[in-house]
Amino acid sequence: MTFNRARRDTLTGYLFILPGILGFLIFVAYPLLSSVYFSMTKWSGFDKPTYIGLKNFEYMFHTDPTFWSSIRLTITYAIVSVPLGLVFGLLLAMLLNKKLPAIRFFRTLFYLPVVIPVVATATLWMYMYQPQYGLANNILRLFGIEGVDWLSGDKMALLSLTLIYLWGVGSNMIIFLSGLQSVPADVYEAADIDGASGWLKFSRITLPLLTPILFLQLITGLITAFQTFVQPSILAGDPASPNMSLNLLNLSIYSNAFRGYEFGYAIAQVWILFFIILIFTIIAFGLSKRFVYYENEMK
Amino acid sequence: MNAQTKAAIVPSKEWQVRPTKGILRLAALLVLSVAMIYPILWMITIALSSNSGMFKVPPEWFPREFHFRNFIDGADTIHFLRVFSNSLIITGLITLGQTVSSLLIGYGISRIQFPGRRMWFFAFLGSMMLPQIVSLIPVFYIFAKLGLYNTWWPLILTAYFGNPFFIFLSRQFLSSIPFAFDEAAKIEGASHLQILTRIIVPISMPLVATMVILAFQASWNEYLLPLIYLRDADLWPLSMAIAAFSSQYGNTWNLFMAANLLYMLPVLLLFFFSQKYFMQGLGSLNSAGIK
Repeated sequence: MTFNRARRDTLTGYLFILPGILGFLIFVAYPLLSSVYFSMTKWSGFDKPTYIGLKNFEYMFHTDPTFWSSIRLTITYAIVSVPLGLVFGLLLAMLLNKKLPAIRFFRTLFYLPVVIPVVATATLWMYMYQPQYGLANNILRLFGIEGVDWLSGDKMALLSLTLIYLWGVGSNMIIFLSGLQSVPADVYEAADIDGASGWLKFSRITLPLLTPILFLQLITGLITAFQTFVQPSILAGDPASPNMSLNLLNLSIYSNAFRGYEFGYAIAQVWILFFIILIFTIIAFGLSKRFVYYENEMK
Repeated sequence: MNAQTKAAIVPSKEWQVRPTKGILRLAALLVLSVAMIYPILWMITIALSSNSGMFKVPPEWFPREFHFRNFIDGADTIHFLRVFSNSLIITGLITLGQTVSSLLIGYGISRIQFPGRRMWFFAFLGSMMLPQIVSLIPVFYIFAKLGLYNTWWPLILTAYFGNPFFIFLSRQFLSSIPFAFDEAAKIEGASHLQILTRIIVPISMPLVATMVILAFQASWNEYLLPLIYLRDADLWPLSMAIAAFSSQYGNTWNLFMAANLLYMLPVLLLFFFSQKYFMQGLGSLNSAGIK
């Protein structure tokens, strides 16, 4: 009787999670395994893949004129924008973590840009960056600065992408805010009694207690930033004449696969991107061992 | 001393105790929020201006003219009715698929005892870490082989195999429901599917709402997948139509901004009416929710 029930439960259980298992096999396991092989082929996506060994990687490292610049751009973008987002997100959260009149209104306002569809945001910024009539230069003109070209040159393009990223700082802010609200008030009160200054309270209480979510956001932020696609692809406009200053690795993968029909080569690039993400994740985990404070460990 | 008595002794409204600090804080917030929100105001200003009003020197900083007709013309330019209903159908089917499949999987993992459930849970959880780009091209290959290129199927079908994040959310939420409910229903002879639909779902409405809202938002915003799968403009969702309109640039900024505002409107409305659920989804990343 019980034996039958256990068997029935096993069957029912697997039936319930069957969609997940199939999804895992088709959309995770198969792509991972097959792309090891695909990365070593010449393949247009329509013909049969031909095995060519490591030629894709050789071409990538030695010949492809765009590869190293797009690697540099991708890494710079990620390590500039993500930490800035964390810093501003935390500052904003601390500013908003007080009982003030209309504080809910402000929280909503700062979160608003996060809700807007990314295509709507990217297109809006593309118009804002337009040199003649765009908002960005309209504002600079008030200060007597004329004719800035926001999208040409590596430094300007990086700045422009980072500004768009920071417009969405509300997503960091809201997570920090929930973290700040879970810090027990008596810790601060004890510090007040001991006469601790504002800075001391921040550096010795707030920051250590926030390190777990700081770390979580660092990891998810990096993974997302390394895969940035929509903003640069829309800012670059015409895919036929790529703007090299905006050519993040994901963009280059997209155009090699779906514009140039070099699927094998694009998948080889995917592995490089995956590898970079992995390395940065490992570095972040390494840092976390030294800096992240988990409350339970102390008990 | 518990938190409540403490709150009674220490005034929590700091700004009433130290008003200058509070006012400074408010002033800083005010300045920052103007900077944050101004791009949207600029967008509205352009969307409402006439063909000559957009390019005035010096520029208009606030709406002075109100050409509401731009919204109709902008909508016409992108064939709004068609792309809007495309978006609605695709988004609706994706939302349904992700919510239902993730609930089923979450229920299986959290409320049925069977060997291997922990392993699969961690497999699903781990797949959240896998960059989307890794699966993009091999999966494209599968759908192309099946003859589904240039159809909505690749966008929709994938939703019916569960969403890792939603599986995680469901498992967390469903684990917190007492098992006594299930046991009582089992004695009455109810099957697992009946327990899920009659008992668990009705008391899990906050979870369902969170998933529905997050799924709707994500698929309404989706751009990369339609871009690689949909060639014909007839099949495009709003995101594609807006991106295509923007790249024409031209001198109809007002029509573009009007169309773009129409694209944003549904998610903005959703956000204003269901802020709680947006915050809950995010709050679950941290153990505490937003108060």
